[in-house]
Amino acid sequence: MSIGKLKSIEELKQRIAAERDKKAAVQKATLTVSAGTCGQARGSLEVVDALEKVIGEKGLKDKISVIVTGCHGFCEAEPNIIIQPNNLFYQNVKPEDAEAIIEETMVGGNVIDRLLYREHDSGEVKQSGPEIGFYQKQKRLVLGENERIEPKSINDYFAVGGYSALAKALSDMSPEDTVNEIKNSGLRGRGGGGFPTGIKWQATRDARGDAKYVICNADEGDPGAYMDRSLMEGNPHRVLEGMIIGAYAIGAQEGYIYIRDEYPVALDHITKAIEDNTALGLLGDNILGSGFGFKVKISRGAGAFVCGEETALMASIEGGVGEPRQRPPFPSVRGLWKKPTNINNVETWGNIPLIINNGSQWFAGIGTENSKGTKIFSLVGKINNTGLVEVPMGITLREVIYDIGGGIPGGKKFKAVQTGGPSGGCLPEEKLDLPIDYQSLIQAGSIMGSGGMIVMDENTCMVDIAKYFLNFLRDESCGKCVSCREGTQRLWEIVNKITEGKGEMKDLDLLEELAEITKDASMCGLGQTAANPVLSTLKYFKEEYEEHILHKKCPALLCREIVSAPCQYICPIDQEASVYVALIAEGRYQEALDIIRKDNPLPSVCGRVCDHKCESVCRAGEIGEPISIRALKRFILDWSEKNKKAAAEQKKEPRKNKKVAIIGSGPAGLTAGYYLNLQGYDVTIFESHPVAGGMLAIGIPEHRLPRSILKSDIDYILKSGVSLKTNMALGRDFSLDDLFKDTFEAVFIAVGAHKSMKMEIPGEDAEGVFPGMEYLTQVNLGKKINLGQKVAIVGGGNAAIDAARVAMRNKDTTEVTILYRRTRKEMPAYEEEIEAALEEGIDIQFLVAPVRILTKNGKMTGVDCIRMKLGDMDSSGRRRPVPMEGSEYTIAVDALISAIGEKPDVSFADEKTGLKISRWQTIVADEETLVTNRKGVFTGGDAMTGPSSVVKAIGAGKNAAVSINLFLQDKPLAKQYELHRPSQFIPPIELTEEEVENALRPQMPRLSVEKRDKNFNEVDLGLDELMAVREARRCLRCELETEDGKAALGGKK
Amino acid sequence: MITLFINNLQVQAEEHWTLLETCQFYGLEIPTLCYNPGLSNYGGCRLCLVEIGKKPRTKLVSSCTYPIEEGLNVHTDTARVLRARRMMIELMLSTAPGSKVLQDLASLYGVKQQRFEVRNEECVLCGLCVRMCAEQMDGKAIGFQNRGHKRKISTPFDVKSKVCRECGGCLYVCPACQARCQGPQEKEPICNACLNMDPTCVEVHDEAQCWMYDAGRCGTCVRPPEDGEKPAEGKK
Repeated sequence: MSIGKLKSIEELKQRIAAERDKKAAVQKATLTVSAGTCGQARGSLEVVDALEKVIGEKGLKDKISVIVTGCHGFCEAEPNIIIQPNNLFYQNVKPEDAEAIIEETMVGGNVIDRLLYREHDSGEVKQSGPEIGFYQKQKRLVLGENERIEPKSINDYFAVGGYSALAKALSDMSPEDTVNEIKNSGLRGRGGGGFPTGIKWQATRDARGDAKYVICNADEGDPGAYMDRSLMEGNPHRVLEGMIIGAYAIGAQEGYIYIRDEYPVALDHITKAIEDNTALGLLGDNILGSGFGFKVKISRGAGAFVCGEETALMASIEGGVGEPRQRPPFPSVRGLWKKPTNINNVETWGNIPLIINNGSQWFAGIGTENSKGTKIFSLVGKINNTGLVEVPMGITLREVIYDIGGGIPGGKKFKAVQTGGPSGGCLPEEKLDLPIDYQSLIQAGSIMGSGGMIVMDENTCMVDIAKYFLNFLRDESCGKCVSCREGTQRLWEIVNKITEGKGEMKDLDLLEELAEITKDASMCGLGQTAANPVLSTLKYFKEEYEEHILHKKCPALLCREIVSAPCQYICPIDQEASVYVALIAEGRYQEALDIIRKDNPLPSVCGRVCDHKCESVCRAGEIGEPISIRALKRFILDWSEKNKKAAAEQKKEPRKNKKVAIIGSGPAGLTAGYYLNLQGYDVTIFESHPVAGGMLAIGIPEHRLPRSILKSDIDYILKSGVSLKTNMALGRDFSLDDLFKDTFEAVFIAVGAHKSMKMEIPGEDAEGVFPGMEYLTQVNLGKKINLGQKVAIVGGGNAAIDAARVAMRNKDTTEVTILYRRTRKEMPAYEEEIEAALEEGIDIQFLVAPVRILTKNGKMTGVDCIRMKLGDMDSSGRRRPVPMEGSEYTIAVDALISAIGEKPDVSFADEKTGLKISRWQTIVADEETLVTNRKGVFTGGDAMTGPSSVVKAIGAGKNAAVSINLFLQDKPLAKQYELHRPSQFIPPIELTEEEVENALRPQMPRLSVEKRDKNFNEVDLGLDELMAVREARRCLRCELETEDGKAALGGKK
Repeated sequence: MITLFINNLQVQAEEHWTLLETCQFYGLEIPTLCYNPGLSNYGGCRLCLVEIGKKPRTKLVSSCTYPIEEGLNVHTDTARVLRARRMMIELMLSTAPGSKVLQDLASLYGVKQQRFEVRNEECVLCGLCVRMCAEQMDGKAIGFQNRGHKRKISTPFDVKSKVCRECGGCLYVCPACQARCQGPQEKEPICNACLNMDPTCVEVHDEAQCWMYDAGRCGTCVRPPEDGEKPAEGKK
């Protein structure tokens, strides 16, 4: 760089033009690498080194140059390279790629496909940056130059027209003109407050004082926000130019840049920029011969969040404690060193050269009526395209999140977006179409802030979020005002109490009152906005707070004290999974059996056919594979069967001489019977079929649940003293009134959901069409059903898969096809069942629905099908299948089994029984107490909820036992919600390094496909002891993380 | 002179006055805690809050730190002001329930509940001691440490300060440790004794006898009736 001061404005203009021409004359190919702090963290400097090494080795130095710039904003794609003249955008480049980039792209002219960006939703490959969805809706006025200049080179800045705004202001505009230009542009402060910049300038200009200051506020402290850092790092001269123009307009002689010391790269770049400017005479006395002199100093902040507040910031520059003071007097009157001072944020300063160069009218043409220009947001959190986005004011949140951000990763649902940093608010889905400007965000209960935008998905607990931000604020409050110091602390305490499951409903009122007063009574902006996280979550997500308080549930499974071990938390019957897993890990099988039996009267059944919600929430599954909890349970039951070990007898209360009738011997009925008997009641179960077990016996096929296993569980219950009467159906053989006449004092109706739903298509009644449930029942009861060779199954649930696998075991059948109207992703059947079906040679056709049954002489010959495509989301959150016109085709089959869903058979519920039935044919009852509209009659399980899982039915049985017991003692019925805690805390085991590395979920040993042919032998064979113990040792033992867990273990040591 | 409106009354005040000084000059009672006329204004306790501006754009400011402005509208006792003051008293009382100053304020402003977990820290960080030491005693022996909920008052580096002359000025101004309130028990963190006394002194003596007249003004009394004195006519 040529040393020597620029002496006049004319010289500056010449220099700018010269640098521009010089750059244009260079005909080299360029590789522009983004290397802001974030790029560097992802290894961009190593990429630069590798590229330069390859270029050097190949002697291409005069043909290719590498430009190292600041951040390009696309964090997700860091480190990324923009290649000219090919106009390519390579993302996530690694040093190993350098060779290929130079060799193939730069020399060979070929595009390397694997380095190109792919859109998240469509998978579309994009060659150049501007084509990418992330950049398309942006308007990168302030940030755009980041990718064209080397931040430390003032010549690069000249080459893009840098300092021409300064030249224009100094030569053509008076200070008063400059202030007016900014006023007319409508620019508002980008630091959060949104105060009109021109008015601030005017006030400082008008204030009396011999010395005046301008300050650049670069104390960016919001968690997850880094707009200012990126601008300071990538384009420091831009900020400096804005400050010089501002000083000229205001009449300031000195400026300060207050920057966090945690920003070393930004600090380095701005320091270099100041040095260069001073050397060139763009800072100092008599700048460019204009008579205007201005100097800039850097003041490094120690990281207190409150120092972003202007009065605290000035106190900090002066060397005092960073504490705000009351305004007025405003800094424009009495600021730094008690002199008139103008403070603007980095981004505000960065906008100044733009406005001077292009004119206020141009700037005022961008944005909305009251918010002009663009705003930079740091788009972070649960978002596909993390990065810095610069958008025109007035764009909607939806456009930013979905069009630019590419939506939520993993197909999860959007829950909330937090704008404005810790003192902003959380906005829900219904606010997504809000245009982003200062007013609309405030009206919605949030703020623009400095531009943090944190996206949260459905797995976010909003109470936990409020707690997180309050924790930040109680640390970062300066502590001067009682309202802010004690307010944030007490708010945090209350919210913390709620997240521990110890909250009460009255806490919500206190929370709201205190939050409002904290906002109202505090002195500075920090306190005045500190309550926003609480107020906005209370406003939009109050039901989550109530869920934590009333039901002791955290829907997102995040609050540690409430959830404890997620496996136990999610289980409808409160099985202490983590405890028996821990016991298995230590070889204490008998104790494990006792623990299982304590809460589960049908453990052998559950060990085989439970839908194991515990595994889907297992924390080990978040980073690897979940623990095979169900298989471990089965292991213990198999062990007890093999070694003839019984679980400890459960305490039986003395006989109460009261009779309870249970209708239906499915999992709900058996469970209720078992527990009521333990409580001293005389229980009789009435079963309409010749065998006990309900759906377990007649619905689930034997290859999944052998009858001997089921029998052992049922025998255990019957042996405890429950009596069973088979072939006795309610409505057919007896009525509810008969039961009450027969001195039964309470009735529990648990008849399940056994009636198949109709497809409602022509020809459904033809011979050869079977309702799924009826078909399975017949087979399970030992009847022979003649299906023929080719069989089609309609449906995608477990019943459909069961029917298909049973049909495949039919002697004559050779071909089984499942027709499902959605895709595999939406299929409700268990994953392992689908896999087993495929293994057995069953064909599944997706996105297909039957339209009519073809018949000949009343017997079916085939089925007409139509292809479907997925449309919009329906209420269940799955995409709705829509028929594709003209895509009909026919398949020839001998039989068709429709398994599209079941409903309860409530034909017994005539007027005399007086039971209320819903339009889904379920019995209406209180969800918590299971009380029906008829006194003394309770219901639960599938009969009440419609088809659901076995373990939920067992849960309903336990619930019924509690309710009936209370009812028979004339006590008020109300479900008690308690925190889930295991009955004992087993100390954790230590794993060896090797074990940790090899910790993998075991494959369930299965019967080979050949051995399954045409028989009903059990397919899953169970884990052996070595596998089980090894698997159990893998458990993360979440329950030990609770305060109770820590205390229990601390006490033992 | 500056003209402004306090509780809808037009008043005049000296240019350099604060809102609090103006209110006091006109005999309006505004509670204070961290304020002391001999020390610089701090604005931390938020008791002297008043509501300024014209509806609907009004806001609460601490009157002790707010310089008066021409034509300013001030309201000293709106519902919003009282609600905030009560909360401040409740918050401070939860950390220093032994402070008689605070207990009296609680009675005066009708703070009858304590909804926060009590921490017996016996300090509300009003900073009177810090300013007393620095401004009146020229000591600077004590100061604030940390920020937010970890804030406390201590000597530099937590060691005995060499500049401390043990003058006791800090204790003299402290609202938490100078006079102890004997009222509150562990289960009842708010004393309210003078509010709950029955019969009240007026009923007993036919004249308010309150020795803590300024703070309580409740018309109750701690002195038992002397011989011959008869309860006044009235209720009970």
